[in-house]
Amino acid sequence: MTHQSHAYHMVKPSPWPLTGALSALLMTSGLAMWFHFHSMTLLMLGLLTNTLTMYQWWRDVTREGTYQGHHTPPVQKGLRYGMILFITSEVFFFAGFFWAFYHSSLAPTPQLGGHWPPTGITPLNPLEVPLLNTSVLLASGVSITWAHHSLMENNRNQMIQALLITILLGLYFTLLQASEYFESPFTISDGIYGSTFFVATGFHGLHVIIGSTFLTICFIRQLMFHFTSKHHFGFEAAAWYWHFVDVVWLFLYVSIYWWGS
Amino acid sequence: MLRNLLALRQIGQRTISTASRRHFKNKVPEKQKLFQEDDEIPLYLKGGVADALLYRATMILTVGGKAFGMFEGTAYAIYELAVASFPKKQE
Repeated sequence: MTHQSHAYHMVKPSPWPLTGALSALLMTSGLAMWFHFHSMTLLMLGLLTNTLTMYQWWRDVTREGTYQGHHTPPVQKGLRYGMILFITSEVFFFAGFFWAFYHSSLAPTPQLGGHWPPTGITPLNPLEVPLLNTSVLLASGVSITWAHHSLMENNRNQMIQALLITILLGLYFTLLQASEYFESPFTISDGIYGSTFFVATGFHGLHVIIGSTFLTICFIRQLMFHFTSKHHFGFEAAAWYWHFVDVVWLFLYVSIYWWGS
Repeated sequence: MLRNLLALRQIGQRTISTASRRHFKNKVPEKQKLFQEDDEIPLYLKGGVADALLYRATMILTVGGKAFGMFEGTAYAIYELAVASFPKKQE
């Protein structure tokens, strides 16, 4: 059996990039079929195969790291860089939507009535559910930090508790936002106000769901003893992502909910 | 007084949840042994039968889905062309 003389991870061939690419094709053509031909089959197939790919790909990463020991310090450093770069790209993604919002709201056109919010729009009261949502996410930021410290101090039970609280708060936020969406007096087709509001908050909500899923996976892995007090990068990556989601919300709240009302 | 304070501190440190006592055994060493076996099985199949089933299902769905999609898309395109070719009678 050959052994490598370096600390890096030469990844073995895997079928998941191929299935991932194919699932992306199925999803995009599925969207076209849904929009134009009222058929959801292809889209559902695409979503299913995408989920299967993600599950198996990341299952294999866990096998490579936790079970095979490939995640040496230099490899972990690379993973950290990777996560930071990914989150940075997401920052730019949201920057676009904030740009769109400020572009329209700083100089409201005569068609909107020359003011913001535009004529006919009753914005949501920022001191009601949106403020509650803010406190929920801020609290979840505290609880995830508690979970991290518990993990580093080898306090298994407290880590599990704190992470569970974080996940529940994330779920609470999602439910609150869903009810806000349902009750909202304006829709996405209510001019530029509706567009900027629902696209920005909608993508944020999607990221909350993604973050909550990531945290839930970490929860399961913690139950299965995958994390040690010194080595738990998966959890740190989830925590960074969660803080990012929280910060985006704060910007949303201040810009769209508060200043924009 | 101090004894009460110390007791209070202990209660604060005690955990509320008992979920972890549902006896999760640490199976990581077994998994490490399983996945480090020198048997040439690729990682994505090394976990056992379930791996192979999941792999096969994913491949069939993606490649088959691509074929189906191309068929469905082509079929729809031809259908729409056929509808467009025959003008609807105005009543």
